[in-house]
Amino acid sequence: MTGEHRREEEASANSHSLSPAAGERARVRGKAVRFVVAMCSLLASTAFAEPRFPPPDFSETNHQIPITTTPPARAEWMQYLDVAVLAGCLGVALWFIYQKRSRRGLFWLSIFSLAYFGFWRKGCICAIGAPQNIILGLFDAGYTVPLTVIAFFALPLIVALFAGRAFCAGVCPHGALQDLLLIKPMKVPAWLEHALGVLPFIFLGFGLAFAATGTGFPICRYDPIVPIFRLNGPGLLIALAALTLVLGMFVGRPYCRFLCPYGALLKLASLASKWRVRVTPDICTQCQLCQHSCPFGAMREPSPGTVEPKLLAPERRRLGWLVLLVPALIVGGGLIGSRLAVPVAKLNPTVELAERYIKQQKSPVDYGLMTPETLSLQRADRDPEALLKSATDLRHRFWLACVAFGGWIGLVLGMKLVTLSLRTLRTDFEPDRGACFACARCFRSCPQEWVRAGLMPASEPPLNSVTGTAKP
Amino acid sequence: MTSSNAKTQRRKDAMSDWLRAFAPLRLCVGLSRTTWVAAAFCALVCGAMLYQHSAAAEHDPWKSPQLLALKEKLRAAPADESLRAEIRRLDLEFRQRYFRRLALNLTGGWLLVAGVGALLLAAKSAKRLTEKPPMPQRRTDAQALALQAAARARRSVAGVGAVFGTGLLALAFMSQSPLSDKAGEVNKVLGGGESAASDAPSLAEFQTNWPSFRGSDGGGAAKGDWNLSFGGTPGGNVIWKSPIPAIGFNSPIVWSNRVFLSGGDATKRQVFCFDAGDGKLLWQRAVENVPGSPAKLPEISDATGHAASTMATDGRRAFVMFANGDLAAFNFDGSPAWAKHLGVPKNMYGHATSLAIWPGKLIVQLDQDEGAPGGSKLLAFACATGRALWERTKPTHGSWASPIIVEAAGKTQIITVALPHVMSSSLADGAELWRAELMEGEITPSPIFAGGLAIVVNPSSKLLALRPDGAGDVTKSHIAWTAEENAPDVTSPVSNGELVFTVTSSGMLTCFDLKDGKKVWQKDLELEVQASPGIAGNRLFVLSTKGDALLVEAGREFKELGRAKFADLFHGSPAFLHGRVYLRGATNLWCLGGKK
Repeated sequence: MTGEHRREEEASANSHSLSPAAGERARVRGKAVRFVVAMCSLLASTAFAEPRFPPPDFSETNHQIPITTTPPARAEWMQYLDVAVLAGCLGVALWFIYQKRSRRGLFWLSIFSLAYFGFWRKGCICAIGAPQNIILGLFDAGYTVPLTVIAFFALPLIVALFAGRAFCAGVCPHGALQDLLLIKPMKVPAWLEHALGVLPFIFLGFGLAFAATGTGFPICRYDPIVPIFRLNGPGLLIALAALTLVLGMFVGRPYCRFLCPYGALLKLASLASKWRVRVTPDICTQCQLCQHSCPFGAMREPSPGTVEPKLLAPERRRLGWLVLLVPALIVGGGLIGSRLAVPVAKLNPTVELAERYIKQQKSPVDYGLMTPETLSLQRADRDPEALLKSATDLRHRFWLACVAFGGWIGLVLGMKLVTLSLRTLRTDFEPDRGACFACARCFRSCPQEWVRAGLMPASEPPLNSVTGTAKP
Repeated sequence: MTSSNAKTQRRKDAMSDWLRAFAPLRLCVGLSRTTWVAAAFCALVCGAMLYQHSAAAEHDPWKSPQLLALKEKLRAAPADESLRAEIRRLDLEFRQRYFRRLALNLTGGWLLVAGVGALLLAAKSAKRLTEKPPMPQRRTDAQALALQAAARARRSVAGVGAVFGTGLLALAFMSQSPLSDKAGEVNKVLGGGESAASDAPSLAEFQTNWPSFRGSDGGGAAKGDWNLSFGGTPGGNVIWKSPIPAIGFNSPIVWSNRVFLSGGDATKRQVFCFDAGDGKLLWQRAVENVPGSPAKLPEISDATGHAASTMATDGRRAFVMFANGDLAAFNFDGSPAWAKHLGVPKNMYGHATSLAIWPGKLIVQLDQDEGAPGGSKLLAFACATGRALWERTKPTHGSWASPIIVEAAGKTQIITVALPHVMSSSLADGAELWRAELMEGEITPSPIFAGGLAIVVNPSSKLLALRPDGAGDVTKSHIAWTAEENAPDVTSPVSNGELVFTVTSSGMLTCFDLKDGKKVWQKDLELEVQASPGIAGNRLFVLSTKGDALLVEAGREFKELGRAKFADLFHGSPAFLHGRVYLRGATNLWCLGGKK
């Protein structure tokens, strides 16, 4: 009997031995504590805020303000160490998922990843933001994508192509942190899960479009988990982090499921994976315990054996219309996107400065002495022609990026509608290939796994067993 | 013994049974308490950090009302050392607080991590003790539920699409940008558009006015048929005089019916506009609150003052520069057009170089003899907007002379003198055209351009004429002539196109032949002269610092045509326009009559 199993048994026995009143009290207390924690986390959000700090007013004393220096690049061997650790962790994760089928092993691996990639490396380098580097490298001839970034982008994807989301299972520090926080998972309604499930793809599109213009990396900039690793960050982001963490106590991995753009890529790769996670390699007794064990809503029920013929015709018609709708949505999205260049380009500092400069020329505003606004306008005044030209060029790039982004949203929504109109043939309870984080929680929920592990006699009929089906 | 052992064993068994029965309950209670303690700890840390954060808002150097109020006070009283010390003290305190808060935030962050970790550990363990195992029930309506769920999911996805579409459309149609994609609009902003072009006066307009120090070409000579006289009176032919509210050693400039000059001291620097017809002060404006301008003014010699630079005008605006580096433009109605701070010029006696102007472009010569190398510059600004058109670093040191802009050798050249170079730069982009290493000492006399030659003065040493058609270093190749007698030390030369006249500060008036630089005559006036002489028609006009004015025929022989005495002190050069002479005295602006 493994230690984990023994603890589960003890826990089960203990829960039964508690009096109902004591149990209720504990539950009420638990809720109260969670509420307090949630409020504290929200309040703490502002405490981390990192204010802008002005340079000293030394102009009258001729003090030369030192040039801002950036820390030296990380030693090359350390970068390769990161890649080696990533590769090693992916290998260990695969071993725990497919060979050992051990949740406990994955748990300790995720603790290590959280410590290494999270708190020590402070969330950077990170696979989640790597697609932006790749896209910038494709669109900006002057930018060279570092090899380590390529490795961080490619390795988890390659693994996902063959064996599913092992990266999410125990290597990603974002997922590890959210896994640790999960106290009382609540089931997200399927309609909401599907609706929110398109957000990572939209965020991915936005991040890539934005990065392609060379403006910045919004996936990194608006990452709500990284400020926790760094114990610092802008106020708004800290508030988002607190919200994500509080949400993560009751909703399994909210960031991974409803926002993570790299997760969207891994999801697509996992759909085509050669091997996939199974609740049990043996016969599924359809006891539904695995469905209950998954806090991420990734377990799929067996499809009904027979389909009523009268339902098929309208379903096919609907599918046809939706397929035709996809190109229309892409074009419509592109058209809307073409109008977005003006507002989105304002996020670019060059465009923003150019607009402020023009406004200043038309109606001067006194920003005060030595304020960043005044200083930037003074810099702009050195060569406004170059500034305005650069801003105009950038806005053209934004126009192209926004058209692509709008079309991408149309494609995502269209394809989602199409996939929701498809019937999937499924005989057993099994994890959704794309949505499953391969966390291995479902393994030990299955009575067949207990039998396989020798924790339960094979002769004993599994709980709530219905009809068993052999794996193909 | 056996019985005793058995009793002991029974007691132990009873105890362990009791422990087995009640341990989970006690454990659960203990874990709950731990959770509460951890939560309270987290709340405490959060509260402390929140307090720190709220307190920090009051001590933000950007926003602190206390610090801002002090800075405003300092603007009003820039010489108040106690205010400055208080600002420095507060600024230092805020910075120390900032770094203390950073350290506290980091510690608080780690404490929160530990607290949340303990809380999670306890809460999760308590939950495991109280959690009921699942008892899933078999569903018989799976197919209907699946269809229902799919339909709902499609509707929700469509809803997300609708929300995104509406939101993005609203964003697209609500946002506006002043940045236009059209090239014409960009040019308009840059001051090069149609409106700017029509705004700029023509070169002919410039040449028929007196828009800068010593006229449009900086030569100090007014062409045309002038018949200046003092009307036979010792007080001169004064049409009007008007008191000047502030001191300054700059010269008047005149455009049509407006006379401009500046004045000021360490407390206030102003621009004055007079009616050329009757001398009425039309408006006066202070130049203050220029972004970037330091509260502390540079140490300026009294002999130079804060307003030694002569203004310039393009007929639409009047431009002024003060010794603290503030450059400002005012519309003719007195409203401010633009202002900027160019950095405090670092000159031994203070900045005295005047502004030069050409249609659409304002030129600032910023030669500096102190500070870091490379500090000397030549800058061009768009008259309409104040936008920097170009900026060139000069390899020169200090200078108090003023630049001139002339058309020579097929180019529009800016000729400047500073230690050690006479330099010519292209007006178009500031690129250096030629240079000659000829200058020594304290460069105060400004260059002039006459008879196709650039006449420069090596103070108290030489008068030199250079051909302006060279390129690169022309020190040895383009000097037309050199005159080594009676070179002025402060004042600039003046020419009528045939002769060149100079006057030293001790009053030695000398006439040179423009063609070869040979001395034609000299006359000791026995006057102290600081103002550069001027020529109107064929009359040479010389002013002494003590109020004497001399009219001398600008010919090959010395001939005094008139002499007058004014109750004033003259340091500025005369301005000639429309038959009138405008003199800036220490206390009055004088307008003298004369027939054109």
